Amino acid sequence: MKTIGDSAQQSSSPTEKEKECSDWGALLERIPYARHLELEVQRYDAGLVVHMPCREALIGNFMLPALHGGVIGALIELIARVAAQSQDTETRCPRILDSHINYLRSAQARSTFASAEIVRQGRRTSLVRVTCWQGDKSKLIASGQVQLLLPTMAAKEADLHEQ
Amino acid sequence: MTDSNRVQHSDAVSTAWQFTEQVPHGRDLGMQVVSVNGNQVCMRLTPESWMFAEDSSEEICTSVLYSLADSASGLAVFAEARELSPTATLDLRMDYLRPAIGDRALLAVAICRQLTDEVAFIHCDILSEGDSALLATANATFMRNTQGQQFHAGGRAKEGA
Repeated sequence: MKTIGDSAQQSSSPTEKEKECSDWGALLERIPYARHLELEVQRYDAGLVVHMPCREALIGNFMLPALHGGVIGALIELIARVAAQSQDTETRCPRILDSHINYLRSAQARSTFASAEIVRQGRRTSLVRVTCWQGDKSKLIASGQVQLLLPTMAAKEADLHEQ
Repeated sequence: MTDSNRVQHSDAVSTAWQFTEQVPHGRDLGMQVVSVNGNQVCMRLTPESWMFAEDSSEEICTSVLYSLADSASGLAVFAEARELSPTATLDLRMDYLRPAIGDRALLAVAICRQLTDEVAFIHCDILSEGDSALLATANATFMRNTQGQQFHAGGRAKEGA
């Protein structure tokens, strides 16, 4: 996980990296749709990567064949959610407000990878930039920006009153 | 418009309809095409518990709405163009206005706002069945006549334009 303009984040110790990896895995494991997509966290020198294995159920165009744009959208939204949540000191569960995804190349029917950068983690919102690739990391197949809302104490209390 | 053209045009739309319903990811999520009227498309999805955003809630994961919007938007390009040249999503922007609860079917209503020889601009609304409140809105841009193979009813493939 890297944070723009924060080089200290990149030089975290191997044990910290392992902990972050298992934290991300635990957060992904709590999302039923992420389990359905069989998303898994992998650790590389450059940071954490989420891997989406290819299955027939992910195909959007069986003539090419190519992965469905919505599957790439899901990979981007879910890694953004986990990245924002893992950066939050209270690990509050963020709500996705919006996402904007650009499709740069056709996504072939093969393993897909994504990494996330926090553009800004504020008190109430988080903006996460995500890139996706397949075989060659320098050839991006999609890039996306996801904005998330971190629930405030006031909103949590309002929820409690409703129950 | 001549009668033979009319038949050809409705064939293109029905082939695109058939193609949409055969897409493996669409079948995985249980997406169905409800209607194609002019340049407007309606699609439906019945939520399952594995589509939820958390184990502890019945909120549908936003990414399921995203997939439905992408599929309905893609079909709306063919509904307006009335020809089967291959298309590709250039970008899609979703705004999630309110949580989607999994006790009702999702509906996507997509409309083609502008079509040129090269691109199509689509707007799509996502709603719960039987409720007029918007759950999410999407704006997508598609590239037309991309490289690829054309789909023909019956599964025969031919090199694309």
